[in-house]
Amino acid sequence: MSGAAVPVGIEVAEHFQDANQQRHAAVFGMWLWLATELLLFSGLFLVAIVVRVMYPDAVTAVALHLKFWIGATNTAVLICSSLTMSAAIELSRLGWRRGMLACMLATASLGTLFLALKGYEYWRDYVEHMTPFFGFRPYVLSGDRATQLLVDDYFIITGLHGLHLTTGVSVLLGLAWIARRPSFLRHHQHRVEVFGLYWHFIDLIWISVFPILYLLNR
Amino acid sequence: MTHEDWRTIRHRLRSPVLCFVALLLLLGVNVLLGVYAPFRWRNIWMIEAGIAVAMVLIVLVFSMELVREPPVIRLFAGVGFYWLVILFSLTLLDYLTR
Repeated sequence: MSGAAVPVGIEVAEHFQDANQQRHAAVFGMWLWLATELLLFSGLFLVAIVVRVMYPDAVTAVALHLKFWIGATNTAVLICSSLTMSAAIELSRLGWRRGMLACMLATASLGTLFLALKGYEYWRDYVEHMTPFFGFRPYVLSGDRATQLLVDDYFIITGLHGLHLTTGVSVLLGLAWIARRPSFLRHHQHRVEVFGLYWHFIDLIWISVFPILYLLNR
Repeated sequence: MTHEDWRTIRHRLRSPVLCFVALLLLLGVNVLLGVYAPFRWRNIWMIEAGIAVAMVLIVLVFSMELVREPPVIRLFAGVGFYWLVILFSLTLLDYLTR
């Protein structure tokens, strides 16, 4: 690369033999953590599937109240953010710092757009009385107690995912702030790659959430 | 940026862009199934779930670059999903056979 490219590398910590070993250790550590996260979400997915098996009619009634188009749009938004994150990783490997920063900020913006749409969806759920856990508001499907199981699970899954995405956007903005320094890619290029794993994982979880909650039950 | 730079970037972004297109197409198919085929065919969920699994595999293998990682990381990621298979199969074995 010429022009905008800067030197790329990893500053090897004393307990690693070389940069490659350090990078693999960081990736391995991230996968270890993601595996525990996967188990956390999977328990919640399993609840939704069991409720579907046990009470199919109740689940269909809930699915028709969920905002299918917002869910679908949000899936597309996260797929776009995965592309920009992958581009940030590739550009970091090439040492093209400005392009990498632009892609990181685009990724954070798309994550924020997702959260804004999700917030609007929650507001619509509140207005349409789809919040059975609020004792002070009537619940639109109160005639069927089984529906409450799935609605509660829906809020827990999407809320937990939203929390992960909020964390992801915050860390990404922090990383972009640090990465604006010209020396960042020379010493810490692998941090962009390791964070990219987390971002793609958030995308992967939502790709599973969309069919399990919005699609399969319609 | 020289012509050579752009060619390098295009080459590097080929895989992410192909993943992006594939994911959007699969999402499109699932959305169409959700909008136009509700209730008509009882087992439509199998196709929808299959498409979702394909999307997850694309993210895992290409976006998360498992295909490029050393065997120990691939093994570890695979074991993470192996536990899920045990969790889902044992639980659903109970509910589906009642």
